[in-house]
Amino acid sequence: MQTPGEEALVERACRGDPAAFEELVVAYQSLAFRTAFVIAGDAADAEEAAQDGFVKAHRALGRFRLGEPFRPWLLAIVANEARNRRRARGRRAALALRTAAEPGASGDDPEEAALGSERRERLLTAVEGLRDDDRDVLACRYFLELSEQETAAALGIAPGTVKSRTHRALSRLQEELR
Amino acid sequence: MTDLELELRDLAAHLEVPPAPPLLGVVLARLARRRRRRRQLAFAVAIGIATLAVALAVPGSRASLLRFFHLRGATVTLVDRLPPLESGGSLGQPISLDSAPFRLLLPSGRRPEQVYAGDGGYWLRYPGLLLFELESGPGADIVKKAAVGTTDVEYVDVDGEPGIWIGGRHAVYLPGGKPRAAGHVLIWKHGRLTLRLEAAVGRERALAIARSVR
Repeated sequence: MQTPGEEALVERACRGDPAAFEELVVAYQSLAFRTAFVIAGDAADAEEAAQDGFVKAHRALGRFRLGEPFRPWLLAIVANEARNRRRARGRRAALALRTAAEPGASGDDPEEAALGSERRERLLTAVEGLRDDDRDVLACRYFLELSEQETAAALGIAPGTVKSRTHRALSRLQEELR
Repeated sequence: MTDLELELRDLAAHLEVPPAPPLLGVVLARLARRRRRRRQLAFAVAIGIATLAVALAVPGSRASLLRFFHLRGATVTLVDRLPPLESGGSLGQPISLDSAPFRLLLPSGRRPEQVYAGDGGYWLRYPGLLLFELESGPGADIVKKAAVGTTDVEYVDVDGEPGIWIGGRHAVYLPGGKPRAAGHVLIWKHGRLTLRLEAAVGRERALAIARSVR
């Protein structure tokens, strides 16, 4: 979804207004980094991928079709950079869970909190054990909460493929967790 | 949404994702660097085009340009055929060695048989050898044309200064002079001077003479 304000901003950036492009970088730097991090699994790689993504997006602004949503277009460039770095590294750095707070600190039942943490650990291990293309589609859909259309754009695949790949990845995950 | 999908959404909230670093400054710096590089490239291309234009502007030039060599004060163009040329001719007005407005450089410090002022510079005549010295400045360019396939042209190094060796017959255009036929020639830079040595010697001997000028 693109707001009318953002559409005008993108249009100005495409016409060479540097201030408009700066606003877009500020607006999307956090999402760009998070997207790159979820794909590459490494903070340094993610930072480089996000930087390169913005520089390449700036270079490609002349080819951007006005009226199209900017967010998936940018994420496609950033995700591609992140995948390139992951490929160059030869292996994927695994995502990790945040360190759990002191049991009971949040007021939850300590036993329930421990079980929840254990379940999340298993789930993350199962996600990380998936093939790259299955893992990426789940990461985009559920970790980044991108729509099917945005996921398709970010990963450079058809929306129908996002649907079938998501279904396949969830089934494999279900099997793994049994 | 299934339970598993809800769990995945919940998992996202528990992932260890480092805070996003501020990217704006770095991105803008990289874009500025890129713009600078593009300006430098455009400048280099403009210089190249200007040099080519100078080579093309030589009167009587009809042959197509195939390749050119350049150093400040001299350009050598490889063409598919040479223009009609005269051989020999006057070197200019005989003068004494000390009459030139700058100190003339001498191979191995040896005095020439005769010095001439002509063609926008100074000719020093030795037995079997001619040295032409030209002070750098606007319009003070030696332009040469060499025929592809019959003349060897290559960049050389003369004690750290750039030079061009032309092994074979070619046409020479000195500032203000008519095109003339010339044989083996070495052109090189020496400080503010452009020197041109013409002699019936090979490349190595010519380089040795060039390195001996003082």
